[in-house]
Amino acid sequence: MNRFYSFIIAMAFASFLILPGCAKKAVDERRGVTDTTVKIGQWGPQSGPAALWGAVARGSDLYFKIINEEGGIAGRKIQHFIRDDGYQPNRTKSEVKQLVEGEGVFAFVGGLGTATGMAVKQYLNDNKVPWVNPSSPSSHWTFPQSKYLFNFFPLSSTEADLLLKYAMENLKKNSFSIFYQNDDYGKLGYLAAKHILEKKGLKLAEGVSVENADTDLSSHALKLKNANADVVIMWVNPKHASIILGQCANIGYKPQWMASSTLSDMAIMYKISRGLWKDMIFANFTESPDSDSPLMKKYRAYHQKFAPNERWGVFYYAGIMFAEPMVEALKKCGKDLTVENFVKAMESIKDFQGIGPKITYGPNQRQGANSIFIAKCISDTKAQKLTGWLTSDFDVNEILKQVK
Amino acid sequence: MMILQPLIDGLAIGSLYALIALSMVIIYKTSEVPNFAQGEMAMLSTFFAYYLMENAGFAFPYAFLGALVFAAVVGVVFEFVFLRREKEVGILGFILITLGFERILYGIAGWKWGSEQKLFPSSFAPLPVSGSTMIHLGGVSISQIKLIIVIVAVSLIGLIFLFFKYTRVGIAMKATQQNATAARINGIRTKRIMSLTWAMSAVVGAIAGMLLVPGTNTSLDANIMLAPLLKGFAAAVLGGMNTLVGSIGGGIILGVIEKFFGFYISSEFETVVAFLIIVIILWFRPGGLFGRHYVRKV
Repeated sequence: MNRFYSFIIAMAFASFLILPGCAKKAVDERRGVTDTTVKIGQWGPQSGPAALWGAVARGSDLYFKIINEEGGIAGRKIQHFIRDDGYQPNRTKSEVKQLVEGEGVFAFVGGLGTATGMAVKQYLNDNKVPWVNPSSPSSHWTFPQSKYLFNFFPLSSTEADLLLKYAMENLKKNSFSIFYQNDDYGKLGYLAAKHILEKKGLKLAEGVSVENADTDLSSHALKLKNANADVVIMWVNPKHASIILGQCANIGYKPQWMASSTLSDMAIMYKISRGLWKDMIFANFTESPDSDSPLMKKYRAYHQKFAPNERWGVFYYAGIMFAEPMVEALKKCGKDLTVENFVKAMESIKDFQGIGPKITYGPNQRQGANSIFIAKCISDTKAQKLTGWLTSDFDVNEILKQVK
Repeated sequence: MMILQPLIDGLAIGSLYALIALSMVIIYKTSEVPNFAQGEMAMLSTFFAYYLMENAGFAFPYAFLGALVFAAVVGVVFEFVFLRREKEVGILGFILITLGFERILYGIAGWKWGSEQKLFPSSFAPLPVSGSTMIHLGGVSISQIKLIIVIVAVSLIGLIFLFFKYTRVGIAMKATQQNATAARINGIRTKRIMSLTWAMSAVVGAIAGMLLVPGTNTSLDANIMLAPLLKGFAAAVLGGMNTLVGSIGGGIILGVIEKFFGFYISSEFETVVAFLIIVIILWFRPGGLFGRHYVRKV
């Protein structure tokens, strides 16, 4: 009799384990989609040390409000779920799992941070949840490619290629130092720059790395001064960028500085560097705040209407830029919105341009763009556009092995 | 000349580590607790100075003094509210309480001042001191504020050394650490002494915080003290947790090693190597370079 009961109990357990799995598979294709709504998820730090970047998710939110205000997509309104992960990968994982399995979102947009994104990349792909445009520069998103992940954030190797070209051709400079943070983002820029210069028979004057926790950069500044290159290009965080400018100015080293697109929020950079940001030549992944392109004008008007208290900064409206291609694909799907259709629609995006670069995805192309434009800081609010959108043909595979 | 410049830089940043070490050593000398909230106490005091300057319009010297008073209050309140209530918690318990307090202060700063970088003045106007004015001496240069940091660190440690050696309160503090019961029997108000110690340590920490921001050309945010606290603590351990001279010695050694290694070999391992050397030194001198290592007998 005992054996009989244990058998019953075992079967009951087994069915609990199997049944929900079956049920889930059946709804997967239309998870998060009804005739009147589609659910989109996004994570980004709204608290903690990286909260400054939380503006990205709120920018996407503004964009979805605009889309809904204009009538939605194929009769559906977008429901947008922002989750605060405090920039901690373990929290990202639990928030994302809750959004997928609890709330049942259709897809993710943006998603800030490399470590946080890496924590859920495999999970999202395994569960066939589309993830459009991670908001951080990393080669991990598209090398190797995965079916449900699309990206167009410029790689630091793209920036290295285009910034070096500009400096050599337009400024006629050929001695360079690199100041980079010691992770795969910074290293990719550093190694690409070194590789490109070597191919031209030039030698990098100096490559100085900085750790995230470093506060005093006097020896870093001294090394840069000692190498005495005409141009220094940086891939670092805003704080380290402002410290190194101050330290170098103190010891009398004044090269032409160049900066990555992650430092393109000029208003903040100008302020925390106490004006040393003036004359900075920097890469941009999106329009300048005061750009008079029709789209930017429209978004600014809605910003005044829906979120007047938000600062109209690069990170905020970058949230719009990350979501634009997603909305384009949703429109292409129309009424017939399933995960597979959505992926096909994303793959059919060709030469699409919102407020970012021109984007083209394809069946075997998940990196949608390798483009930036270059600008020069004139004052805290004024930038001078030095180029239009530039596209790099640098093959990142040449150096990728050295990064990891 | 290139040997002198990293030396000077190391001396300056080392003095800053020394100040943080000093604030930890003061507590450790009287209660044998490493206070891990020290960094955030300093960070919050620096924010308070920022608040006085930005929102209340005080000039730097007044804001500086105001922040010192604020720091002293934070120190006393922490000791009174959290530590005094706890009886028989042991060192592990104390460490946990300081870590908890650290999180609380970090949260407060984040909530009150947000995550944006704040501009802490780089000049001490109306005092003629500024972080961007350099003093040049035969090929090497040091910013005025860094020079001030060295002077402040050395003179504070000297002052506190004299205080412990020659004043009644200082001697009472030492007595409290060595044997609290005996001290009480001899008429020392040990509780009051404890509060005073915490106030003193918090003030030294606040000075370190307010010099660190302009001294390293950085801007102010809630994370400002995370790494420096670790370095300060390491400096204190390196020099010997129970000696005052140790904190300045440890701090400067740590700073100079870091800057030399960073400049001549690789900035990638600047911090790592400094800590490696500490581990090696502690192998041979477990009590720290300047400390006495005592083994307690049962």
